[in-house]
Amino acid sequence: MCPVCKSARYLNPDMRFLVNPECYHKMCESCVDRRFSQGPAACPIAGCKRTLRKARFRTQTFEDIKVEREVDLRREVASVFNREEDDFETLQDYNDYLEQVENVTWNLINDIDVEDTRRKMDAYKEENRRQITRNHSNAAQEAISRKAREEEDHELTRLRRADARREDELERQEKSDARKGIINKLATTKGDAASIAREGRRAELKKSSAQRVALDKKRDGDVFAAGTENGDAGSGFTFKGLKKRVAPPPEKPYDPYGGWSAEKEYFSQQDFYDWDYLSNARTDPRHSAGGYDINDYCARALCDAFSGFGVFIEDEVSGRDLGSTPSMATTAAAAVGGERVDAKMEDVF
Amino acid sequence: MRFNIEELEVLFPYPSIYPEQYAYMCDLKRTLDAGGHCVLEMPSGTGKTVSLLSLIVAYQQVQPEKRKLIYCSRTMSEIEKALAELKALMKYRTEQLGYEEEFRGLGLTSRKNLCLHPSVKREKSGSVVDARCRSLTAGFVKEKKERGEDVEMCVYHDNLDLLEPHNLIPPGVWTFDGLLKYGESQKQCPYFTARRMMPYCNVIIYSYHYLLDPKIAERVSRELSKDCIVVFDEAHNIDNVCIESLSIDLTEDSLRKATRGVNNLDRKITEMKSTDAEKLQSEYAKLVQGLQEADEARNEDAFMSNPALPDDLLKEAVPGNIRRAEHFVAFLKRFIEYLKTRMKVLHVISETPPSFLNHLRDLTFIERKPLRFCAERLTSLVRTLELTNIEDYQPLQEVATFATLIATYETGFLLILEPFESDTATVPNPILHFTCLDAAIAIKPVFERFSSVIITSGTMSPLDMYPKMLAFSTVIQQSYTMTLARKSFLPMIVPRGTDQSRITSAFQQRNDPSVIRNYGNLLTEFCKLTPDGIVVFFPSYLYMEGIISMWQGMGILDTVWKYKLILVETPDSQETALALETYRTACNNGRGAVLLCVARGKVSEGIDFDHHYGRTVLCIGVPFQYTESRILKARLEFLRETYRIKEQEFLSFDAMRHAAQCLGRVLRGKDDYGIMVMADRRFLSKRQQLPKWIQQALDDKYADLSVDQAVSAAKAFLREMSVPWSRVEQRGVSTWDAEDLAMHKAKQEEEMIRMLEEEAQNGGGMVEVDEYGGDDLDEVMADLDA
Ligand code: SF4
Ligand SMILES: [Zn+2]
Ligand SMILES: [Zn+2]
Repeated sequence: MCPVCKSARYLNPDMRFLVNPECYHKMCESCVDRRFSQGPAACPIAGCKRTLRKARFRTQTFEDIKVEREVDLRREVASVFNREEDDFETLQDYNDYLEQVENVTWNLINDIDVEDTRRKMDAYKEENRRQITRNHSNAAQEAISRKAREEEDHELTRLRRADARREDELERQEKSDARKGIINKLATTKGDAASIAREGRRAELKKSSAQRVALDKKRDGDVFAAGTENGDAGSGFTFKGLKKRVAPPPEKPYDPYGGWSAEKEYFSQQDFYDWDYLSNARTDPRHSAGGYDINDYCARALCDAFSGFGVFIEDEVSGRDLGSTPSMATTAAAAVGGERVDAKMEDVF
Repeated sequence: MRFNIEELEVLFPYPSIYPEQYAYMCDLKRTLDAGGHCVLEMPSGTGKTVSLLSLIVAYQQVQPEKRKLIYCSRTMSEIEKALAELKALMKYRTEQLGYEEEFRGLGLTSRKNLCLHPSVKREKSGSVVDARCRSLTAGFVKEKKERGEDVEMCVYHDNLDLLEPHNLIPPGVWTFDGLLKYGESQKQCPYFTARRMMPYCNVIIYSYHYLLDPKIAERVSRELSKDCIVVFDEAHNIDNVCIESLSIDLTEDSLRKATRGVNNLDRKITEMKSTDAEKLQSEYAKLVQGLQEADEARNEDAFMSNPALPDDLLKEAVPGNIRRAEHFVAFLKRFIEYLKTRMKVLHVISETPPSFLNHLRDLTFIERKPLRFCAERLTSLVRTLELTNIEDYQPLQEVATFATLIATYETGFLLILEPFESDTATVPNPILHFTCLDAAIAIKPVFERFSSVIITSGTMSPLDMYPKMLAFSTVIQQSYTMTLARKSFLPMIVPRGTDQSRITSAFQQRNDPSVIRNYGNLLTEFCKLTPDGIVVFFPSYLYMEGIISMWQGMGILDTVWKYKLILVETPDSQETALALETYRTACNNGRGAVLLCVARGKVSEGIDFDHHYGRTVLCIGVPFQYTESRILKARLEFLRETYRIKEQEFLSFDAMRHAAQCLGRVLRGKDDYGIMVMADRRFLSKRQQLPKWIQQALDDKYADLSVDQAVSAAKAFLREMSVPWSRVEQRGVSTWDAEDLAMHKAKQEEEMIRMLEEEAQNGGGMVEVDEYGGDDLDEVMADLDA
């Protein structure tokens, strides 16, 4: 029943009730039209002096009007206090923050120190304006990407389902075809009926298992295709699990060695070494056909020869006392370096 | 009888053993040695429980670390039976070994069954007993008493504190009866005796729920160590138990009650603030640290349940916005209000948890994280407030559990809102089903935690369905056949009526008068020829009611009445119990009776119709599930997408396991005999899905009979059965004594040696013999025949 015009719902089943977040007094739609069409007016409920505007009337979402109001207040608070867990050093800090926010909300809801709380809230809003807007846009971004993700999932499920249906259909088709085949065969050929039937079934079985494999393969392919398609659809990039706080640094090209490079430190390699032993190999297609590059050979030979320069004898000597056995390669390298024979070399490879 | 399996000596409390029991034990031992899970299908009535127990107890006694056995069964009567078996086994062992082993075996059941308190035990409902017991035993009540307040306490519980905590009851095996008697004589509470003694037991026997239902498992079973051997007996329905334990239905009524609960909490908080604010403050302080700290007192009087909580949740601190009691209560209120608005929608909605959470957040600013903590937070609050009338908070707790679950699991669950009870209803009566689709979720902790889990039942075909659905891998999957000295049961498939027309319970032909008449005919004929009891199973109550009223109109029931008393199962368990009792009396005094019941009902699952209580079982129609149910549809979809189990495959598996259960009801031992009739056209193609032991007994010539052929076959069978026959003839064939066993072993060894030799000759690896190799082909053939 409408408290203003006293018309009851059973007389007018289409009646809709509206509330205004100013005072949350409930009245029917026609009353709202009647009273507030001419602009702002006072609430018609006895004892309520608030001025209401028509535009702000809306239908009630929650049965309990208190919760309706609480949610409105929460919306307001949430628009100011929108920090996230990542903003805090520790979980404990974040939880304390949450509790304080909850306290603020609590005060607003239960009309405790409303003035004071509001003032503090406004101050906070002023101070942290930038942070707040940033978090807002982050949240919006996140919502968008979430939505895209959902849609993608949806699409994938739909595809999968369609596939499964098709698969079932095919199978049924196969089966009935095979059966027809057997019957035809039975009708046209002479011979042992049972063996023909068995034959036919075996063939059918084979076919169906082959089909299954094929379909599985196809499905995997499809899923992949759909996934990539969706990845670069539209303008907004939707990376899953993107860290939202800091913009990620621009991505460098992938370096498989992780920053380690094989710069030649002690020698520079010539393009061409005039050495009879090599000239044959250089021209022989049997070498180059396999992808063998003479320059690699030269580089390695030079490396073998000069790497010994990177050895610091003092370190090695102290290392030697710990009982290291020199290997062939290092011995050679050290010899080239013109230094002590038993110096140990760090094996880079 | 005593014998060895490999190096392990097994004491078996009977003078002879069935070959399948021996095989079963061998496989069990292999599983235990290998340390893994297994699925075993053992024909009903072949002494599965005793084989299990004798092997595992033997195994336990020789192992130095004494791995505990947790034996889970389904019903109270099965648990009792297992306890009795265990007791007999231990008695036999003592006699044989000449000394008593240090051994404890206890069963656990609800307070309702074990309570001794003179007034509490008279309560009808289990949850009331639990709640009242708590009000008499909780820690804070005791504190009050110590402070000199006048509060009532349970003496049976108090007396326990006077005993040594690890020796509340002398060693040995205690049946429930024995436990109750002992409790009465010592004035100690049997329930808490069993609960507290669990860590000191060698064998624990209790219901599935204590391990699977995360709400209960959390408090009862969390102390069990990793090397326990877990057995799920009668486990053919285990996936449904798992699913039910995580599914929640909310109605408008339960939400209303939940609101009332919240308001009560609110009031209590205000009260406590004025009288004992310190308590709330100290709870708050603890929650700042995290749930675990707040919960160190979580012990047996933890009375409210929490759904499967991941460990990280327990270690993490409670989110700041629900730390304070009043904040949390407001939070709950908001959540319930939100659910109420959702209930107002007048069309069916199915929604995934993430989408629900998004909507929830947009509307009410409830984030996922505090939601996850809901159940735990509520438990903590209720404990702090020292509430005693817990049963009033049941609906609220359900909402909190729901909150935690939906915020914890993204997949494997679905939210389905059905505003109307049926498609034709006009008055909305909304139900919000939060259904678990994935049986693996509830059982996952069990598989993860325990190294050996044994899943066994009489009807589990096809075996590989279970590992698939429950997402685990097995060391052994085995199905045993039944060795019989004479053919003592006669399975038949009857797809045709006397007039050669097809009979089926398929939806389209259900109400076809000719089908109904043929079924009626089948019933009358079997009532005429079967001595004593006959049991008939229908696919559903609805169908049963329909067909009964049609039979009434056709005068079929009048004819049946001449031969048998007619009794009907109803959804009401008391009525059914009465019907069963009458049925038994009628079978005993020679009047004979026919019991009409439903394939998924209580009768089909828990009641045995051994010997003259059931000489024939008629399965009228294939007991398919009602496929229009949205929940089932969702589950089928999930199974297909996650485990690649096809809809048809699952439905037919499910129907056949229930059919097999029904059929197995009449045969409860080797000297029992009975007729099994599967009367539906569709059984023809499902023959391969029957358990191996039934399949093996199903002769080709009985696999496609018309009603009159079936009748004459049954008559011939009964004539054969009436020939006097003694157990002696079973010797060596279907039962072995020690000698036979030794012979069998020698043969096996020979075989083994021969194989090894052959292998050496061939120089190749072992040839894998695939028992199921032919199955696929058979299936296709069977389909083709359909
Ligand atoms: S402590 Fe035991 S006897 Fe006492 S009320 Fe509880 S269950 Fe009953
Ligand atoms: Zn009005
Ligand atoms: Zn107003």
